[in-house]
Formats: sequence, structure tokens, C-alpha cells
Amino acid sequence: MLKLAILLLLVAARLTAAQASTPYDRALQLEAADKYRDAAIAYREALRVEPGNLPAMLGLERSYAQMGWTDSLLALLDTALTARPTDVTLRTIQLRTLRSARDDAAMRAAFEQWLRAAPKQHAPFREYAKILLQDGFSSAADSVLQRAEAAFGSGDGLELEAAQIRASMGLWAQSAEAWRKAVAGAGYLEQAAIFSLAPAPAAARDDLRKALLAVPLVVGARRIAAALELEWGFPRAGWDLLRALPPDSAGLAAWLDFARRAEEAQAWLVARDALMTAYARTGSAALASRAATDAMNGGDMRAALSISAALSTDTGAAALAVLPVRLRALASLGRAEEAARALEGARGRISQDQYARLARTVAWGWIRRGDLAKARAHLEVSDDEERDDPVYGWLALYEGDLRSARRMLTSQSESAPDLVAALALLARTKVDSAPAVGRAFLALARGDTSRAITEFEQSARSIAEIETLLLAAAARLAGAAHQDTRALAIWRGLAQGHPGSPEAPEAELEWARALHRAGQNSAAMARLEHLILAFPGSALIPQARRELELARANIPSTP
Amino acid sequence: MMHIIRAGRATPFLALLALALAAIPVRTQHVLVPMDDEQGNHLKAYGLMFSALKDGLRGEWLLNYRGGSFLLPDVQTLRRRAALDGVTLLGVDNATLAGVRAEIATANMDAVPLEKAPRIAVYTPPEAPPWDDAVTLALRYAGIEYTTVWDAEVARGDLTKYDWLHLHHEDFTGQLSKFYISYRGAPWFVEQQQRNLAMARQLGFGTIPELKKAVAERMRQFVENGGFIFAMCGATETLELAIAGRTVDIAGSFGDGTPIDENADSKMAWQRSFAFKEARLELSPFTNSMSDIDGHQVNVPGRRQPLGTFTLFGFSAKFDPVASMLVQDHRTVIADFYGVTTSFSRRTLKPGATILAEEEGAPWVKYLHGDYGKGSWTYLGGHDPEDPQHSIGNPPTDLSLHPHSPGYRLILNNVLFPAAKKKPLKT
Repeated sequence: MLKLAILLLLVAARLTAAQASTPYDRALQLEAADKYRDAAIAYREALRVEPGNLPAMLGLERSYAQMGWTDSLLALLDTALTARPTDVTLRTIQLRTLRSARDDAAMRAAFEQWLRAAPKQHAPFREYAKILLQDGFSSAADSVLQRAEAAFGSGDGLELEAAQIRASMGLWAQSAEAWRKAVAGAGYLEQAAIFSLAPAPAAARDDLRKALLAVPLVVGARRIAAALELEWGFPRAGWDLLRALPPDSAGLAAWLDFARRAEEAQAWLVARDALMTAYARTGSAALASRAATDAMNGGDMRAALSISAALSTDTGAAALAVLPVRLRALASLGRAEEAARALEGARGRISQDQYARLARTVAWGWIRRGDLAKARAHLEVSDDEERDDPVYGWLALYEGDLRSARRMLTSQSESAPDLVAALALLARTKVDSAPAVGRAFLALARGDTSRAITEFEQSARSIAEIETLLLAAAARLAGAAHQDTRALAIWRGLAQGHPGSPEAPEAELEWARALHRAGQNSAAMARLEHLILAFPGSALIPQARRELELARANIPSTP
Repeated sequence: MMHIIRAGRATPFLALLALALAAIPVRTQHVLVPMDDEQGNHLKAYGLMFSALKDGLRGEWLLNYRGGSFLLPDVQTLRRRAALDGVTLLGVDNATLAGVRAEIATANMDAVPLEKAPRIAVYTPPEAPPWDDAVTLALRYAGIEYTTVWDAEVARGDLTKYDWLHLHHEDFTGQLSKFYISYRGAPWFVEQQQRNLAMARQLGFGTIPELKKAVAERMRQFVENGGFIFAMCGATETLELAIAGRTVDIAGSFGDGTPIDENADSKMAWQRSFAFKEARLELSPFTNSMSDIDGHQVNVPGRRQPLGTFTLFGFSAKFDPVASMLVQDHRTVIADFYGVTTSFSRRTLKPGATILAEEEGAPWVKYLHGDYGKGSWTYLGGHDPEDPQHSIGNPPTDLSLHPHSPGYRLILNNVLFPAAKKKPLKT
């Protein structure tokens, strides 16, 4: 529509300059000026001169639509169709006009008339089926296509419409089969196919896959299948469909497209594999750098390091581009010395600001090693002026200096889970120094979850006012680490031993969930009931009620 | 006959009665389950009332009082269940209750005793999940117990064990809702056809239409002998067609191997049916419609009518308690919703049918009730009040997201009204 408006304006501007000479030119000019009544008169004049003037008929259709006079077009269309009974554009305008007049019987009659005039054309079936589908009459649209198939002996030429109609009817395998044929000659339809097939329920997907992946191989259909796997939450299965494609331009395009989709879906490690496969074909450092970043985002620090290390031998821009990834990977792995050396090696090629920022990354490497003194020393050496960077607040927390940590961390605007947990703790206590708490957070930063759980539990004994908060932190960590027995013990202890604490409702809910996971549904329901009855004002009550309904199978479970 | 009385119109006699009622000593402590906008979970409130009856308690349905509230004895188990379900309860002392009764006595309200939980049966295939049907969805969510029955149970006379029977989208003409037009290859349709055919043969019938007509006849007898039937969606229209067309071939060749009788319209025995008369059958096997009973014709291009809203009638609570019970709601105007049968053409209504809800100015109505023999029937058009455009394959409705659904309240009114103690008519 926007393009049409711009075109009208351009044409009108040119005509103004050259003085509109024909009725059609004048009509365009008037339409562009929103003078639809005058434009319609001019378009009609153009049609009187030349009844088969299609642009004039389309212009008149637009103008009448603006005035709500669409049905006035019908008589003119009848005249034009007498001269050109098989003209697809005229026939399509006629169907559209009858549709907007809500005259379904006349629309059907017009379709039948078109068929009689052009028995060998696919267009009547296509256009009429499209309109029925747009109006939500899927089964009627399907009947039209079946009639076409009977008339022509196959559905060739109507695959797109068949695909859309059958998807709307929930006939997923038939839709996939039609999409496979449709995309074979029109790759631009892939996105439409993905959008159309993605809602297929799990039970229908196997047949849908078979239809898309039938032999002979259609690369477009395979790309659709891969994208659907991604949509349905099986990114690895999606990549498996594409990895064996021949390394030609079609294969490369498929890998890059899939990598982009996987990144959008945050399926980082699959995106990494797709990019590395494309890198092997092209040797593009940019692709490898992206793959390293994806590996890091996916938590595979070793792969991130391996990819970035391969690029770091490059003396050009690629090595510098990949340096932050490499340093973060080294820091995450606790290889602080290597990180420091790599940073020093690049010092002459990066700005002071960049150096200071990357030095903070290296400091995290020392933290990861548990060497807080070296981390602090590294920051001093780097002459970092940004003292409000979170790393300083975290260092204070790890050292047990809650007072400094409170001052520095509360000014942060991030909402990472670790920071939220730290801020919750700092807000609940006025204690200024708590080395045991610092050790617990440090263990967490070092990725030693088991030790962090122990430290949080032990530190709970040291500060009574945040005892339950620290126990809840330990329990959450144990749950996240799949140590269900340990988590359950802590939650149970919290719920039974501290029923008046702010953490008690959460403890009850988590306890119930743990029981549910262990297959003890009755016990889980009893716990949820206790939560609802004992804490009627808790913000967790709606969630507890919902989980109780699910446990009782009173509402359908959603995937 | 329908009586439409606006709230506040009380006769002097009623006013005197109110004063007399106010003087009667009332029971000790009660809880009021308000059903207006103060209620935390309207649908669960019905489950609370049902469970109280199931536990042997007695309650009252305060028609037109605060959205059709319930009054129950103040029992700890009820308070517990209400707290779990999020149902709002208000403690009522004797003085307050006396005030409530006085208000009820002087206005278009009434208190109907509820005494016994009805025995509920739902006609549905054995393996169908509860999410297929708005009534089982509502019963399940509200926590109301029910038993499922299908053709074998109906054929062996099990309906006598129940007070209340619900039907949803079964096609009693035996044509499987004419879905063969579009879905003949779909696995679910093939399975449905095979399942019905196997059942027909098991029970000694040659075709699905023969089986379904026999089942419909059993249901007619169930109502005639005092049962309550509540049907929705396609079951309403096709039950009527099957009963009236008991001896007529009203199924296309897909259903029974022979084309529909071209003179079927003139052979229909409408005196046997509950609600409709002189409906015209759809003779074309390729038109997805059964008859002109349905006003909306959702699956027929060129005939489909757009959805509007429907309005519940206000009845005299004291003179028409049954109709009043069926329309208790905290909303009187409700958004319409499609189904295989969405609405009922006025032209086809029998004079004895009571219109409970209609779309103003439209040639169709939405919600009907009537007596038949010793029993009664209620029809509500449409498939799912919270899924207005429902299509095959749509995800099921999660009622925990619609705890105040006024459309679902209509369904639950029907579940509860057989619990009401019949009072002698005042007319």
C-alpha cells in the first residue's frame, strides 16, 4: 500500500508538471490528491474510451473502495468482461468486489462463469479458494481445490493455496506435502511455510516431517523442516537435517540462515556448529568470531577458547575482534595468567579504555581462581578509573565487606540473578562484615555450586536476621544443581522450622514441587493446600492454586 | 409462558409476605457466597455448593440476590474448600440474614432450597479427554463429580441411574457432523468413524445413523420419565432431528449408504421432539449444515452470520424459579460464540419453548428451556463460551484463566438446578 501511495504521488507530481492530458492521467492525479469522487469520474471516462483498460479499472476499484461504493463497479466489470471474458485481473476484481458486497451467491456464480469461460485456467480455482480461505471457510476452499484436482488430474499449479488451506484445516501432512512442492520453485515461500506449519501439534509432526523430507531432496523443504525443529524446541535435530548438505552455495546459504535463526532462538551451541561448518567452507574470520561468541553464550568456554585461539594467531583485525571473547573464556576457565598475558600482548594495539575494560575481565579470571588479592592487584595495575564498575562491589562482597558492597552494588542497574540475590541479602541486614557470606558468594562465582550450597547453609548460622534468606539461597542452588534431596531437606527445614519467615511460602511451594517431581502427587497436593491455607496473603497463592489444579488434573496441562 | 419482571416490582402481598418472613426466627450462623463482582471465583463457587450438597448439607440459592448468591451453613470444611479454591465467602449473622431475607421478600428475588446433589452423566466417547467439551471442562474445573456414558450404557438403560444428562457435539443423525466433506482423510476422523461403526455393530445396528437414532430415542424417554437434559453445540439440533426423524432417512449416503429421503421434511414427526418444529433439512450431502434450525450456519459459505452478543432474560424469581435459576449471572449481556450449532431460529421454535437468552433483533435465540413429559430440557447454542471462534485442533480452554466466565456460569446453573427442591407453583 505504501509503495502504491508513493507511486501515485510520483506520477501525480510528474503529471502536474506536464499537465495531465488523458482521462487516466487526470484520474491518477485526482486520486493522489484524495479527490476520490472526481478520480472515479475520470477513471470511468478512461474506461469509456478503452473498456479493457486494466490500470483504470484497478484505479476505479481503489477509488470506489475509499467511498464505499464498491458495488458500483459491477456494471463496468460486466461490460469489460464481455470483451475479455478470460482476463484474470478483471475476473479477480469481480470476485473481490462481490466479496466486499457480501454477496456470496453472486461470488460463487461469478466463479462458475469464469470456469466456463476459461476451463483450462488454474486462476479461477486459485482466486476463489483464496477468498474463501481469507473469510475462514477452509473446508469450502478445500472443496474448490479438490474440484481443480479432479479437473486437471493433479494439484499442480495450486500448491501454495493447497498448502495454506490444508494447514488451516489441521491436515498437516497434506499441507507439508503441498509446501514441499510449492517451495521447490519458489524459495521465497519458505518463511510462509514455516509460519504456516509451526502450529502443528506434536502428534502430527512425524507425518509432517516425512512429507517435507521425502525423496527426491528439496533443499528448501529441508530448510523448512530444520527451521520447524528449531521452532518446536529441537534445535539439534534441525541442524542434523542440514549439516550433511553439499558444501555448495545452496548449502552455505542454508547453514547461515539456520545459524541466524538458532541465534534468535538462543540455541547458541547449534548456531556455533552451523557457523563453524560455514567457516570451514569460506574461511571467513567473521563467521568464526561469531561462532566463538555463540559458544561462549552457550556456556561452552572451551570451544569458545579453541575457536578464538585459532583466530588469535592472525595479526590483523580478526585477532583483536575476538580478544574479548578469548579473555572471557580464559577468565571463566580460571586461566587468569594466560588471560593477563594475552591482554598484555595486545596492549599496543588497543586503546587505554579498552585495556581497562578488558583488565576487569581478567580480574574475573583471578576471582574465578579464588585469588581475590591478585584480582584487586590487577585492577590497580590497570589504572582503572571506573570505580563504580560492578567488579569492585563484587570483590567487596567476596571479601565479606558488606558495607562497601552495599554502597557499590546498590547503584547498579543490572538485573542478573546473582546481583538480585546479593542485593536482597544486603537489604535485609545491617551487618557490615560477614566473611562467611563472602565465601558463599565467592564459591558461587567460582562455579563451585556444591561448595556454595554448603557455605550458604553454614553462613546462615552466623547472621540470625538473614538466616532464612541464606538457607533459601542454598536450597535454590541445590535445586538448580538437581540435588533434589538436598534441596528438599533445606526447604522442608525452612517451612517447618521458620514458618513465620518471608521465605516460608516459597519453601512450601518448592517442597510441593519436589514432591510432585518425585511422583508423590498426593503429598504435593497436601503441601500446596497447606500453603494456600497458611499464607492466604502471599503473592505465591495464585501460582499455588494453579499448580494445585494441575496436580488434581482439573485443567489441561500446557506444553 | 414467559414472565419478564423487572427488579423492584413487588406487590403489596409480597411486601406483607416479606415482613412475615423477616419475623421468622432464622438459623444461627451462615455463610453467603456472593455471586456478583465481589466473588473471587464464580465457577468454583458452584463446585463449593455441589460439594456441600454431596456432604449432606442443605443450602439456598438466592435468586437475583447479588448475582444469584448461595447461602450455606457456616461449616469449617466449606471454609477450607473455599479458601483453597479462592471462593469468596461472607459470614452472615442472624441479624444480617434477616435483612437479606427481607430484601428478597420485597424484590424480584427468591430463596430456593437446594437439597440433594444431582447424579450427573455426560454422554461422551470413553476415551475423550475432558477438555473436548465445555461442560466437562467446567465440571472438572469446578470439582463437580460426573460419570461418562456412551452408546453401550445408554442402550442398556443406564440413564435411569442419573438425574441429569449432558450432550455436547455428538451428531445424532449419524453423519459425524458431515466432517467427511473436508476431513475424510484425517486420522482423527477415520478413528471416530471406525469407533462409531464398531459400536453400532456391537449393539446390533447396521449403520451409525441407526445406532444414533436409537440412542436419541432412549434420551427422549429419559426426559419423558423425569430426567433433565442439557445439550450444547451440535447435539441440540441433531438430537431433535433424530427424534423427529425416527422413521425417516435423514442421513446422506456417507452415513448409511443411501441418499437422504428427498421428502424427509414432510415426514418428520415434530410432535415427538422437545423444542423445534417444521425445520427444513439440508438435503445436500456437500453442505455442512443439518437444517435451518441453526441461525448462524458457521460452516456454510454464503450463510454464515457474524457473532454478536446475547442478552439473558430477567424472569420473576418467585413465579418462574426454574427459568430464573438458569439465567443467574453477574452479567446479562454476553459475547456470542460459534459452534456446529450456534443458535436457534425463532421460526422453528415450538410455542412451549421458553427463551432464556436472545440476540436482540436477530432471527435467532441462544438459550432455551422447556418441559417434556415429567422432565425438562435446556439447550445452549455454541461450543465454548471462552473460545468464540473455536476450530478443530485449537488448544483446550484453561478455565483457571476464566474463573469469572459469565458464559460458563450458564452451564453450571444447569448442573445445579436439578438440586432445587420443587416448590408448589404460585400461579
